[in-house]
Amino acid sequence: MKLRRRTLLAGCTLVMTILAGGLGGTIAASPNQAGATIVFGAEQEPPCLNGTLAGCNNTWTSWTVGISFPGLYEVLPNGDLRPDMLEGEAKLTKKPFTLTYTIKKNANWSDGRPVTAQDVVFTWQTIINPKNDVAGRSGYEDIARAKVINSKTLKFTFKRPYAAWKLLFSGQFGVLPKHALQGKDFNEIWNTNVNGPNGKPIGSGPFIVESYTKGQALTMVRNPRFYGKRPQIAKIVFRFITNTDSEIQAIKGGEVDAIYPQPQLQLAELKRTPGLKVLSNAGATYEHIDFNAGKKGFQLARAPWFRQAFAYSVDRTALTKQLFGGLKADLKPLHSLTYQNTQKQYQPHFAQYTYSPAKVAQIMQSKGCRKGDDGIFSCNGIRASVKYGTTAGNKLRELSQEIVQAQAKKAGIEVVIENAPSRILFPQISNEDYQLALFAWVGSGDPAGITDIYSCGGESNWMGYCSKRVTDLLKAADAELDPAKRVALVNRAGKILGLNVPSLPLYQKPTFLVYKSKLQGLVDNPTLAGPLWNVEEWRVG
Amino acid sequence: MFTFILRRLLYSIPVLVAASFLIFASVSAVGSPLQELRLNPLISEQTLQNITERKHLDEPIPVRYVYWVQDALTDKFGTPLFVQTPIWDDLTRVIPHTLQLVIMAELLAILIGVLVGVYSAIRQYSIFDYSATMASFVGFAMPAFWLALMLQILFTEVFLNSGVRVFYTSGLNSSDNTCTFCVDRVQHLAIPVIVLSVLSIAQYTRYMRASMLEVINSDYIRTARAKGLAETRVTLRHALRNALVPVVTVSALNFGGLIGGAIITETIFQLDGMGPYFINNLLSQDVYPVMAWLMITATMIIIFNLIADILYGYLDPRIRYD
Repeated sequence: MKLRRRTLLAGCTLVMTILAGGLGGTIAASPNQAGATIVFGAEQEPPCLNGTLAGCNNTWTSWTVGISFPGLYEVLPNGDLRPDMLEGEAKLTKKPFTLTYTIKKNANWSDGRPVTAQDVVFTWQTIINPKNDVAGRSGYEDIARAKVINSKTLKFTFKRPYAAWKLLFSGQFGVLPKHALQGKDFNEIWNTNVNGPNGKPIGSGPFIVESYTKGQALTMVRNPRFYGKRPQIAKIVFRFITNTDSEIQAIKGGEVDAIYPQPQLQLAELKRTPGLKVLSNAGATYEHIDFNAGKKGFQLARAPWFRQAFAYSVDRTALTKQLFGGLKADLKPLHSLTYQNTQKQYQPHFAQYTYSPAKVAQIMQSKGCRKGDDGIFSCNGIRASVKYGTTAGNKLRELSQEIVQAQAKKAGIEVVIENAPSRILFPQISNEDYQLALFAWVGSGDPAGITDIYSCGGESNWMGYCSKRVTDLLKAADAELDPAKRVALVNRAGKILGLNVPSLPLYQKPTFLVYKSKLQGLVDNPTLAGPLWNVEEWRVG
Repeated sequence: MFTFILRRLLYSIPVLVAASFLIFASVSAVGSPLQELRLNPLISEQTLQNITERKHLDEPIPVRYVYWVQDALTDKFGTPLFVQTPIWDDLTRVIPHTLQLVIMAELLAILIGVLVGVYSAIRQYSIFDYSATMASFVGFAMPAFWLALMLQILFTEVFLNSGVRVFYTSGLNSSDNTCTFCVDRVQHLAIPVIVLSVLSIAQYTRYMRASMLEVINSDYIRTARAKGLAETRVTLRHALRNALVPVVTVSALNFGGLIGGAIITETIFQLDGMGPYFINNLLSQDVYPVMAWLMITATMIIIFNLIADILYGYLDPRIRYD
């Protein structure tokens, strides 16, 4: 009897403890209005906290720790850049190409020291220092010298014009604190913390790091010295939940307040879940099919007419609808290799390629190709059968391949799917040892990166594609400082790419910002700036 | 005994060396770990060159292996490929998380497995026995990822319908909490412990039942009963100790294996343990943390094999160590 009583007592105590913990311990379940804490489910953990380094440079490093370190310009949801830490636009001279920046008077580091011109110069010196494993040096290497005019004003003189200059020192990790980093090993100092000289986390953005429990969570608190609008939320906890199913259960069950997951079919149920809101946009990552026109590629694909025929054999509208209809019904195919359809500079250079087996037949027959008994064309003894690879295990891409395979077959082109894990596929692609490959590029909003992809001999041109005209136009665009003229040059190159079809753009992967409807002020930024870009505007309604 | 332990430990050295070289060579031979970075046109070539030189990626695999051995012995496994954080710090962070999960799951599994197994044996062919047998087969057959998802959905629905947070569905702690031994941690580990222990419970139940049946039908148990000992005393004192031998052996081996992490369970529930540490680094082709994981896991398996052998001798006095 005694044992039973004790057992009963112990059981009751445990249940009551759980109930007490359950009701009182969930911040996310009951965010309060004044000084609320938001719990954000992060799909990846930063490999380390210094997002300037190549090894730590993933999107979630930028979207978490990165908000501590805003840049001179910020990227808006439509891809435009506007001054952030600057007093107005930078002043520009063309010959020689110089930029004069004036930093906001009230821009301070969280330890009370002002953000100065010296900090920007230090950031430049850190990035171009060959000993530092920084992610990118493009544009920074074109700066010849820096001159500090006063504590808040500086001038950079360039060796040559650099059209994408607004991207320099911009976005997250745009400006680094000299007094915290000078004399330290940049590859090591900010791996597990972003501390200043006083041993406390430092930053100049709306939130700064409060604590970091590796493998679990990163907590950021409101920075009282932020130069912009005072954030209404007191604290953001980023919980690392890399498993999509767990992430979805966590937002449904109130364990987190917001998530920003990759597109998954399971997200459809969240759109119907009461108490949740879903914002969706066409994102910065776009999928495309590359044709290898080189020696190891498919022989017919060396000719633009075959690539055009192939483009007519793919129903990209139906493909997009089949893949994302349940998640984002209004997602449209991408019709450009130069701009994305969320940008105002976008022109649909590939819009003519609507699904048309008749057009395929017309092109193929005009080149002497004949259909065999199996309905597949043969051209001068070469069967129109092409190997099509992507990253094995990526369900969305595999499904996309099967749809393309079925569509192309109806048009008389055989697609043979041959996938490989990314560690095998990408070396094959970069060695130009493939026929057709499906993978993604991530657009920065600025077309500077595409010169390497589509110019003759470009570092990332693995398609064996070479058009002198396109190369000249893109190189001219990279040096053109007049924005309107630059857009015109890029779009002229884009139009030729649309005719030559070195690659077929498919769609931009949609973004999904899912959050509790109690939260207000959230605006999805589908560029690399990410969902936290306007975090100072967030509030609990 | 001492000679036995020493000999076993010495035997394990060539095993560890061979295993480490094979794994190092196979992970390294897959391709350049910098390939993904190279695909990004914005990543600086200078940075790739720095990493290549620092980690000797331009050297043949055997030379790189020697550098790794040097790092492992003198610098506690050194640093990963891309990031300058000490591997040892990561290991000392994730191992306690895995230990906590595995110890809770194994204790639960042993407790339930032994109780159900013993009762099934002494009530052989009863409804309980048939039910336990069926439940064990279901436990064997149930995929961990499926059970994990079902329990996540179940406890999410419990919360949505009652407003009471019984168990959390992911993570080690709530957002404002970092405690290790507290109700919050128990609420987070409860579902993973259930998922992880289901297979072990099924396993231990079957072992215990079979072993117990063998023992209770043996002559010395019949003698004990003939002497007039109470059935409880016969079962608990005379039969159970001998019947435990295979379960103890299996659980020691299980435990050694699980130190490497319950990869599926830890990954699904976002527990910062050895499993996700291994799988994430393997996927990013970072051979250095993978090797550190391997050495810890292999060492633990060797040690727990040894412990199993020692316990076997303790429980069964007929075993002698030569």
